[in-house]
Amino acid sequence: TMLPLLLLLLPAAHAIVELQYKPVLTQTPPLEGLITASTFVLDQPRCVFGGYENADIWLVVALDKAASTFNNTAGPGTPETAFQRFPDPVPAYMTLNATLANYPCPKPAGDITVLRVGSETSCAQDEARPTCNGPLPGPGPYRVKFLALEGSEPVAETAWSEPIMLRTAKSPSSISTADRGHSAGMIAITTILSILFAILLAGLVAMLVFWGSDSCGGSSTFSKPESVTVRRYNTHHVYDQPAARL
Amino acid sequence: MAKSDDCVHILQGLLVFGNVVIGMCGIALTAECIYFVSNPHGVYPLLKATENNDIYAAAWIGIFVGLALFALSILGIIGVIKASRTLLLVYIILMLITFAFEMASCITAATHRDSLTPSLFLKQMLERYQRSEPGNNSDNEITKTWDELMLQNHCCGVLGPSDWQEYTSAFRLTHNDADYPWPRKCCVLDAQGLPVNLDGCKLGVPGYYNSNGCYDAISGPVNTHAWGVAWFGFAILCWTFCVLLGTMFYWSGIEY
Repeated sequence: TMLPLLLLLLPAAHAIVELQYKPVLTQTPPLEGLITASTFVLDQPRCVFGGYENADIWLVVALDKAASTFNNTAGPGTPETAFQRFPDPVPAYMTLNATLANYPCPKPAGDITVLRVGSETSCAQDEARPTCNGPLPGPGPYRVKFLALEGSEPVAETAWSEPIMLRTAKSPSSISTADRGHSAGMIAITTILSILFAILLAGLVAMLVFWGSDSCGGSSTFSKPESVTVRRYNTHHVYDQPAARL
Repeated sequence: MAKSDDCVHILQGLLVFGNVVIGMCGIALTAECIYFVSNPHGVYPLLKATENNDIYAAAWIGIFVGLALFALSILGIIGVIKASRTLLLVYIILMLITFAFEMASCITAATHRDSLTPSLFLKQMLERYQRSEPGNNSDNEITKTWDELMLQNHCCGVLGPSDWQEYTSAFRLTHNDADYPWPRKCCVLDAQGLPVNLDGCKLGVPGYYNSNGCYDAISGPVNTHAWGVAWFGFAILCWTFCVLLGTMFYWSGIEY
């Protein structure tokens, strides 16, 4: 009876616990830099790895198409999981080593608890640091999961995340600076001023054409101030002379 | 006779008053345009780099038009009082020429203002901010202007920090994306000019970076400049139109 019992226990000792947690991009607070061209931001796995105080919790980052073929027994810090050899020939790497003490449960309210994947630029080319959290080399898509190792034995893992696609930047020459049309103000100024100018030109032409003719004069004609004075002077003399003769 | 005399005097009075207003507006226009030309606002290097100086050309024309309006208004007052046909004819023709120039100035200012779209500034900023090729003075001016703009107005980019993420840029060539998702000037800085929380700024946590774009800060002074020239000129021209019509009517009624 001992043998079947031992046989039952052995597989259980080697099985990895599959936790019902899926790594997600941080939703609160809303972050402007959630996804950039070479980094993305995950929520920390708080209150997920309960009971694994002795385990090292690693983040596995893999190309989307290589996620299903990842071998949990691949050790971190080896050439098979080195960041510097990602994505070719290594399709997945392990980084961001932590223990349960780094992810205390429950999370204090108001704290921002995130993991920025891709933030370490100093070790990106350093082959002596295969667990570097270096900037991702392309737009992806990538999938991540957390893996808990005791010693070198994997004991627990989360589910793979949804595929994460990074940003691709466009070239600034694709920005079109063609005129988007004119504003209402500019059109109003142009039309009204053109009309006014046309009326004035027409008035000037009318003035010059009818120079001298009395057609617009008539009863509204008025005299210059000097000519009125001269006429009065003449009238005065005309009346004076007959009186002098008499 | 007396009635038409009264009408004549009223018309003369109105024309003199109209010309006085034109003279004063001419002085005001000259003063306003001298202010715009001699006191370029902080974003002038950005406008200069677009190689389209029409807004400044419009202000320069405004200076000379203002002086011409003042001189012609004096001529007009003399011509109306003396009821001299030649003087008034000269006045009308010269006023029409001035009208045409001022019309050109208003339309130029309004059209150039319309061409200063956010896309124009965005493209200029992406291509020239912190460009590392040596020897180009206007690139340094653009970089300095943008740094000051972002610092003083607590803004980032033209439409927002995402400008630096959506497009590649000269800045991106010398600053990698992981360390500099956007320039450091977009971070909330303390009194020494260092980011209050660099990680918060790189992540884009609200409160540690400037999330709004600088386009409003740019278009504000430019709008004041353009509409100051265009709409004030338009108002003067409308008034001048009325005075000129009255003068033409007065001229046709003078005996010679």
